Amino acid sequence: MSMLSEFDDRPAVPLWLLAASALAMVVHMYLVFVWVPTEAAQGIVQRLFYFHVPAAMAQFTASFLGGIAAILFLVKRDNRYDDLSLAANETVVIFGLVNILLGMMWAKPIWGIWWTWDARLTSAFLLLFLYGAYLVIRPAAPVEHRAVICAVVCIIGMADVPLVYLSNRLFRTQHPAPVIGGGRGSGMEPRMWVVFMFGIFTVMLLWSCVLMIRRRVARLERAAADLTRRSHEMEDLRSYR
Amino acid sequence: MDPQLSFLFWGYAIGWLLIFGYLFWIAQKEKTLRKKVAELQEAMEERWKQKKA
Repeated sequence: MSMLSEFDDRPAVPLWLLAASALAMVVHMYLVFVWVPTEAAQGIVQRLFYFHVPAAMAQFTASFLGGIAAILFLVKRDNRYDDLSLAANETVVIFGLVNILLGMMWAKPIWGIWWTWDARLTSAFLLLFLYGAYLVIRPAAPVEHRAVICAVVCIIGMADVPLVYLSNRLFRTQHPAPVIGGGRGSGMEPRMWVVFMFGIFTVMLLWSCVLMIRRRVARLERAAADLTRRSHEMEDLRSYR
Repeated sequence: MDPQLSFLFWGYAIGWLLIFGYLFWIAQKEKTLRKKVAELQEAMEERWKQKKA
C-alpha cells in the first residue's frame, strides 16, 4: 500500500474549522478595535490584552498537551504521541513569542521600558527558552534516542508552566496582578469580559488549526525518514551481495 | 498618529504575522515532504521491480 495514501488530499484541518477560525478572527478584530471600551488608566494600548493573554493561554495548553503526549509516548512507545508532542511544542514557541512580543509592546508605553527581569517575565522567558532548546535538541539528538530525550525535555517544560502562572501571585512583580481570580480589585467591565472570552475562543481555535497542520507535517517527516532509511538499507544489501 | 495606537497596531500586526508566517512555513514544508515521500516511494518500487525481474 502506498505510504502517501495515509496522507490523502483531504485538508489536515476540516474546512468548517478553518472557516470558523477565519470568521472569529475578523469578529475579534472588530470587537477589539471598535466595540470594546477604552480602559481609563492605560488608554488604547490596553487592548493588546485581548491577544496577549489568549496567546499565553494557547501556549500553556500546548505545553500541557505536549507534556501529556510525551508521557504517553514514554509509556506506550507509540510514535504518534511523539509527533503530537513535537507539533504541540512548536506551537508553544510560536504562541509564547506572540505573548512575549505583545507584552513588550504593551510594556513600553505603560512602564517606559520594553523588558524587566521580574518573576513573571523571567519565568515566561525561561519557558520559551526551554522549548527553544527542545527544538534545537531534537534534530541534534541521536535518532534512536531522540524521542525519549525530547519527551524528558518537554515534561520539564510542562512542569515550568505552573511556575509562570503563579509567579505574579507568589512574588511582587512589575507585571500587573491577575485579572481572573486575582482577589479584591480584580475583574473587568462586562464588555471587556466579552471581548476577552471571545479572544480566548478565537486564539484557541486558531491554535487547534495550527496544531493539526503541524501534526500532519510531523507524520510526513517521519514517513520520509523511514523511507530514506529503508532505501539505504536496500542499497546496503545490494552492495553487500 | 497617537503613539499608543501605533503600539496597538504593531502589536497585533506582529502577532498575526508570526502565526501566519509560521503557517506558511509549515505549508511549504508539507509540500516539499509530500514530494520527497512520493519520490522515495517510486524509487523503492522501481528497485523491487528490478529485484523481481
